[in-house]
Amino acid sequence: MNRFYAIPSVAQLWASRAAQRSATLVAEDGSIPFTRLSKPLSAARGVLITTGGVHLKTQPPFDMENRDGDASYREIPDNVALDEITITHKYYDHRDADADLNVIFPLAHFHELVRQGVVGSLASRHFGFMGHIEGEQLAALMQRSAPEVAAKLRAEGVDFAFLTPA
Amino acid sequence: MSVSLARDLTEAVGAPRAVFVKWPLGHPLGEPHAPLQQRTVIFRALLLLVTASQPGVIEDLGLRWRREVYTEPDWSKLEGIEP
Repeated sequence: MNRFYAIPSVAQLWASRAAQRSATLVAEDGSIPFTRLSKPLSAARGVLITTGGVHLKTQPPFDMENRDGDASYREIPDNVALDEITITHKYYDHRDADADLNVIFPLAHFHELVRQGVVGSLASRHFGFMGHIEGEQLAALMQRSAPEVAAKLRAEGVDFAFLTPA
Repeated sequence: MSVSLARDLTEAVGAPRAVFVKWPLGHPLGEPHAPLQQRTVIFRALLLLVTASQPGVIEDLGLRWRREVYTEPDWSKLEGIEP
């Protein structure tokens, strides 16, 4: 757990350096994927995806020993009780997120938005990743985990994803 | 649709749409037990989701850490926006 990065200016400095290492993540032609919503938000299906190390207490925690991180992911049922969720991630200070999961995984807010009719529906499962992925784990993320999750989202008719970093 | 806590990183990975908040890592939606703050970020993100017309837009929400007063967003503004 690192309080150092709780200082916004320090976080921005870290981000700049991380960005320089991330040039290989974009398409070779520099293009950015973009798809417009095909329906009004009130009819659209959303999913939450976070890299904050969120998972069920009954699931294996993310690997904190591998210096390259852990490219695996955890499925979080939409109807989960919030007290069944925990966070495993030692590269950011998640004490506030532990106190109120909405800080990083706003499932309760999105349930309310569905009740209000602002959002059409939510996927039956959401996805928890761990950030801080490098080296071999980055390759596994791009070649295995990300395509797997994308296929699951397509199969369930998800229209948009709401992504929250750590 | 992504929340960004690190603008340079979001630019580098080519996120299709993002709202940026210059807040501490680990706080993409803001402070704990601050539902109006959290719902404001969600509202602004969803507004960008339905209005962005080009890839790579990163909107700086300009929200100061612990120095803003939040009210319930007007969710009706998201109604009737056709894709």
